[in-house]
Formats: sequence, C-alpha cells, structure tokens
Amino acid sequence: MRTDNRPIMVEMRGICKYFGQLKALDNVSLDVRDGEKLVLIGPSGSGKSTLLRSINQLERIDHGRIIIDGFDISDPETNINKVREEIGMVFQSFNVFPHKTVLDNVNLAQIVVRKRSRKEASEISRELLNKVGIIDKAEQYPDKLSGGQQQRVAIARALAMKPRIMLFDEPTSALDPEMTGEVLDVMIKLAKEGITMMVATHEMGFAREVADRVIFMDYGAIIEEGKSEHLFKNPTRDRTKLFLDQIL
Amino acid sequence: MAEIKEWKDAVKTPRPAILISDGPAIPRRKDSGLFTAWRISFIGAIAMVAYLAISRPDPYWKILKFIPDGILVTFQVTIAAIVLALIIGLFTGLGRISKNKILNGIASLYVEIIRGIPLLVQLFYIYFALGRIVNLPAMASAIIAMAVCYGAYMGEIFRAGIESISSGQMEAARSLGMTSSQAMRHVILPQAIKTILPPIGNEFVALLKDSSLVSILAVSDLLRRGREFAAESFNYFETYTMVALVYLIITLLLSKLISIMEEKVGANR
Ligand SMILES: Nc1ncnc2c1ncn2[C@@H]1O[C@H](COP(=O)(O)OP(=O)(O)O)[C@@H](O)[C@H]1O
Ligand SMILES: [Mg+2]
Repeated sequence: MRTDNRPIMVEMRGICKYFGQLKALDNVSLDVRDGEKLVLIGPSGSGKSTLLRSINQLERIDHGRIIIDGFDISDPETNINKVREEIGMVFQSFNVFPHKTVLDNVNLAQIVVRKRSRKEASEISRELLNKVGIIDKAEQYPDKLSGGQQQRVAIARALAMKPRIMLFDEPTSALDPEMTGEVLDVMIKLAKEGITMMVATHEMGFAREVADRVIFMDYGAIIEEGKSEHLFKNPTRDRTKLFLDQIL
Repeated sequence: MAEIKEWKDAVKTPRPAILISDGPAIPRRKDSGLFTAWRISFIGAIAMVAYLAISRPDPYWKILKFIPDGILVTFQVTIAAIVLALIIGLFTGLGRISKNKILNGIASLYVEIIRGIPLLVQLFYIYFALGRIVNLPAMASAIIAMAVCYGAYMGEIFRAGIESISSGQMEAARSLGMTSSQAMRHVILPQAIKTILPPIGNEFVALLKDSSLVSILAVSDLLRRGREFAAESFNYFETYTMVALVYLIITLLLSKLISIMEEKVGANR
C-alpha cells in the first residue's frame, strides 16, 4: 500500500530519553504515516521498547516532541488517557488480566473507559475473539491458555478500543516457536486492514511480508531505514550489516 | 501488637510464604497438624467452660452470665476498628506507593510513628487527645484509636500486596486508556486481595485480642466485665480463667471464619 501521501499519524522530533546516565534514545526523529506498517529491528538494548513506550507515554521523554494524530503528548494540557485510547499496545509478556475470563479481559476497558454497556462490549469482544481465533476460549481464565492464545487475547483486548495505531513490542519473543506463527498470522491479517502499525520484532519473514518501512536502531539511535527488500539485501551501514548477518 | 515480620518479602514471594502470626494460626486446610490442633483446643476450651459451669456454678456459671455484654462490646470494638483500619490501610498503602512526594511522605511518616510507639501508649494518647478536641463517647474514641494504630500495619500489608502484582498489569491497563485509579480498582486490587487476605486475617485476630486493652479506657468489654465481677466477688482466679477461655474460644472461631473466607477467595491456591 502506498502511504507516503497519507497524513502523518506519529511525528517524533529530536527525542531523547535517559535512564540515569544511560541514553536510551538519542535524538530520534521519525514520522509514521496513517496506515503505515513500520518494523523496528536492532540488537537487544538498542531502544526499540523505549521508543514504542514513549509513544503512549509509558516512558516520559526528556527532550523532543511527540505528536500523535495532532495531539502533542508532551504538552501537560493533553489528556494522555484520551490519547492512549487511540493507541493499542501489545507486550512481549502478554500482560493479560489473570483474574478475568478471556471475554472479560477484552470487555474491561470497553466498559470502564469507553463506557459501553456490557452487552455492547461483549458483542464487540466476541467478534474480535472470533477474528483472532479463540472464540471457543471466551469463558476460560488465562491460566488455562497457551502463550500464543494469551497473546491473541491481548491483541483482541487492544483492538476492542478501536485504536488508530497498534504498537507491538516483540510480541512473539516470549513464545515457543510453534506458537509464533499463530500470532504472526493474526498480525498479518490486521496489517491488511489498513491500521497503522509499529512492530519491534526479530521476525524477518514478517518484516518482509508486511513492512512498508524497516528501521534499524542501535544505541538508542536510528542508524538506517528503508524498504525491507532494500535494507535486508543492501544495508549501507556496517552496523546494520553486522546485525543482519547474525539474524538472517 | 501484631508484628509485621517482613510482610513485604513474605507476600512478594508467591510460595513458600512465611506468615507467622502472633495469634492462633489460621487453620489452613493443607496443614493437617494445625487443623487437628485447632479442633483440640476449640473442643477442649468449650468442654472446660461447660465442665466448670456445671460442676461449680458458683462462681463459674455466675461469671458466664455476667460477661456476655462484654463479649458484645468486644465484637463491636473489633469489627468497627477493623473496618476503619482497612480503609485507613488502603489509603496508607496507596500513599506509600504514590509518586506524589507529599502523599508518600505523609503515609510513610504515619507508618513510622505508629510502628514506633507501643499500642497501649497510643491508645491513651489518642483517647485523651480526642477528648480534648471533641467530646466523643469512650467507645468511639477507643475504636478510632485502635483503627489508627492498626491502619499503619494494614497499610504495609496493602503496599506489599499491591507491589506483588507485576508492573506489566498496570502498564497494560494504562495503555488501554484507564486512569491509574481505574487500573487500581479493576486490575491491581482484585489480584492483590488474594495475597493480602492471609496477613489481613492475622491482623484481624491480633486486633481482636488487642481490643482487650480498651478495657482500660472505660469501655465495658469482655475483660472489663470480668474485672468488674472479680472486684465485687473477689473470685479473681476463677473470673480470669473464664475470661481467658472465652477469649480463646472467640479467637479460634474467628480464625476458622477467616480460613473459610480465604478458601472462598482462593487465597491459598
Ligand atoms: N526502566 C529502565 N531503567 C533503566 N534502564 C532501562 C529501563 N528500561 C530500559 N533501560 C535501558 O535502556 C536501554 C534500551 O532498552 P530497550 O528500549 O528495552 O531496548 P530494546 O527494546 O531494543 O531491547 C537498555 O540499555 C536498557 O537496559
Ligand atoms: Mg525490548
């Protein structure tokens, strides 16, 4: 899909983030357009999670500006909860709610945040659970589910808020290899529907199939970016080359 | 006073948790030895009371007829104080984990001060301090004093319970657009309650026993009724034997009740 003429959804300008002395994000600037699928790659500790987490302000940045769909989230006047409603996030460790059934996991924020009735929420939830292929587990508690199934619950839970952007932070890294596919399949299906996606992953197959653009990060900075076919075949920077040699 | 023996560590490690209480141990089903011990002491205490009352009605049966008013007062003080202490404890616990420096400071100061002063001294202090400001009935002052003391301990339990829930749960809730209080209410506290309940149960039993201290403050609880009877009849030994047995029966019953509650919530899974 051509997205380079679409409006900008996420605009990051000169982002710096420190953890004590450590510079986790080093002057990162990045535009993500509406509907664009962006894949973040880079060695562990390169700042991928911090970048994604700063977009929904799970991390507060120290310098720079982040504008989401026109809202400047670094502005103290901006209601961050409102912005977060538009941003779905999927974590490496699933973080499903263990005290709620699968259905109630997906219902909860719809009822509490979106103020939908339980009936209305359940309808939406069932539709989404069907879409991610675990409708038959709707009444189960998460501890009865495999990792792959839990992660699909987490995806459905995020989608139930009808977000404009989905952030995925290494969604398959904690999964056994045989479950990786079922989660990636759901993500590929989602990508085809046109939602804006930012995905930190080491799944190069997924990047090839889905990414409009691949960003390579190292030491908190964007080193190189490009279309997957270009970046994977002809990286221009040595560090990118070194990383790709290890991973491909 | 109940000692908090490193609740934080005990609560944070899911199992094995070292939960040593200074009350009768809550008879959890998996500990069969304790379960039997509970039965033996409970049945033994009841049998003893019955035997004494029948074999020597004067003074034992008289004592038994004299103290029920006091038992009621002991219950009232305990239940009112625990409800109040739970509320104070919840807010103290939230204050202790708050990023707001002022709230955090107030909560921490409260916990530090309370934990450093003997309960009896606090009771006197709060009782007479309240007496200067507002003219509350003795019972109300005693309840408030107990609640203020126990609230600090409850606060530490709430804090440890909340901290035992992985930060990913809060992040997931916040990333869905929930405010921090919505996340607390719908995601964190319902999970923390399972960890919190056993130590809270221990505090409950400890508070019941410590409630006997209010007898010093002109509150006619079980112990005070006993003292009144003893002072009139000079049957000191007999009266306090009866009072002790009744306390034992009540605390054993309460600990049983708590273990049933815990099983309902699945705290010992
Ligand atoms: N909460 C934190 N406290 C201190 N250091 C952190 C924290 N989170 C991340 N870091 C550090 O920031 C750097 C970037 O981390 P991260 O964004 O998680 O990288 P990635 O997701 O690419 O593996 C790492 O060096 C990491 O150790
Ligand atoms: Mg990461």
